[in-house]
Amino acid sequence: MAEPRVAAPAATGRRYRSGIGRDGVGQATLFFLPALLLYGVLTLFPTLETVRLSFTNAAGLGSTVSFVGLDNYRALANDTIFWKAFRQTLLWLVLHVVLAGGTGLLLAVLIARTKLGQRFFRTAFFLPHVVSLAVVGVIFSMVYDPFFGLLNGAFRAAGLDFMTRSWLGDPDLVLFSVAAASAWQGYGLYMLLFLAGLQNIDHSLYDVAAVDGANSLQQFRHVTLPGLREVSTLVLSLAMINGFKGFATVWVMTQGGPFYASELLNTYIFKLAFQFQQQGKSAALCMVLGLLAITLTIAFNRWRERGKRW
Amino acid sequence: MVMRRADWALVAGLGLLLAFMVGPFFWLVMSSFKTEAEISMGDPVALPATLALANYLDAWRIGSFGQLLLNSFLNASAVVVLTLLLCVPAGYAFAKMRFAFNNTVFFLILVGLTIPIQAIVIPVYQMIARLGLIDTILGVTLAQVGNGIPFGLFLMRNFFRSIPDELLEAARIDGASHFRILTAILLPLATPAVLALTVIAALSTWNDFFLPLVVLISPDVQTIPLGLVRFAGTYSAEKRLIFAGTVISFVPIVILYLLTQRTFVQGLTQGAMKG
Repeated sequence: MAEPRVAAPAATGRRYRSGIGRDGVGQATLFFLPALLLYGVLTLFPTLETVRLSFTNAAGLGSTVSFVGLDNYRALANDTIFWKAFRQTLLWLVLHVVLAGGTGLLLAVLIARTKLGQRFFRTAFFLPHVVSLAVVGVIFSMVYDPFFGLLNGAFRAAGLDFMTRSWLGDPDLVLFSVAAASAWQGYGLYMLLFLAGLQNIDHSLYDVAAVDGANSLQQFRHVTLPGLREVSTLVLSLAMINGFKGFATVWVMTQGGPFYASELLNTYIFKLAFQFQQQGKSAALCMVLGLLAITLTIAFNRWRERGKRW
Repeated sequence: MVMRRADWALVAGLGLLLAFMVGPFFWLVMSSFKTEAEISMGDPVALPATLALANYLDAWRIGSFGQLLLNSFLNASAVVVLTLLLCVPAGYAFAKMRFAFNNTVFFLILVGLTIPIQAIVIPVYQMIARLGLIDTILGVTLAQVGNGIPFGLFLMRNFFRSIPDELLEAARIDGASHFRILTAILLPLATPAVLALTVIAALSTWNDFFLPLVVLISPDVQTIPLGLVRFAGTYSAEKRLIFAGTVISFVPIVILYLLTQRTFVQGLTQGAMKG
């Protein structure tokens, strides 16, 4: 595939200002083509194909497919489960960012301050993050079990029987229960990143703040948070990306139930495509998810670039 | 180092929080040694009377956990090797080679970072089916690598860009090819980036559930998370087996983490910060 026209000889490189010269598409292609090819076949093409499928009545392999215009989108607009899943996905995102990101920040600040066992605490608190989300789903299905589960068992043992709940059976609770399990697995990485960020804060700033009479809460607000700005941006965007991927815990623990109370766009996509064989409608839902992810990512980056406080 | 009272209070507070956070691990291990009769007494915080080791033997045999671990290991290694083979040279090309459409092609790949895999799963499934790779580890591996390329490429490109051009220019004038520059000069310097990509690719593959759920149907090709979920669904009446199977599922990765935690932590932190 190296076209002689563009494959300039290496020696001409010296003529260019910096770097290692103009190499021509030919030679560079050898280096990136394999990656581009696999990406093209398994990510880029599927993205475009999803757009096309969303305007068809595709219903599984081998079926005849015809163009149906906006029918799938109309069907979604009239689908109450879709709207429920849409609202719950937004709530899920917020819960993940707040619970996992917040726990990560809290633990990082505490660990950075302790004089004893910093390394031990960092290692031990990180443990849940190495466990697969699906395994976490199995673990918390048991932790939340009303009868033999750890949570209700601990409440009963402590004499707090009134706190026992049907954590996964109560439609008002279930999304929070599953989000908490996901946050348990997720906070570790955010904690590490916040810890790395805290190490980069100039310690003399705290001394200056203390001389000015700032208490520890004010120091946190005016020294720690601004100093963590870059890391916070990173953690927030990672938490958003991870939130959008939320699937395994929900699928394992509730499959979206009871009564769709923990249904997310992701679980609904999977059900429509692989259980109900409504791939066209599922593709339209994929479009909604993809556009939502891209829109929120762009909006988030705009917001972070504009705001200057933390 | 002088410990004041507030310092001790902080350590105690962290200890309590830690007990809360890692409590589930201890509870699972404890429960995995109980007999079915003990579990069904409904006293989850009671200690087991004896160590019912039979739970582990039965779970291992019935759930074919040896096979599942092997499949997960094959899957994760294949993803790591392929990701490195594809992303290292490509990252070098986009960072250090000058050619037409460099930025355009790179941007095209970068778009993939914002698209959740769930949003494109139907055509991905159809593509794997067209290649005849449904229900094979190779099929799920290719899908995972294809999906991970934007991140891997971004990470390697960022790393290579941080290396000064002068270093390569000298080699270039001496007539070294790009392949030689990459393998002889840059790769030895790139250990932190390669390590970061290895840890991240291995961990995310080991933990992946969605793509294996879509691609892998037969129990004998499934990976650990998928196999455990199927096992827990099939033997939901025998909690002792589920407890033991769950412990079997997380112990290998926990041990690996504890043994290599410095590399592990550095890899994840560097990867997230540079990526």
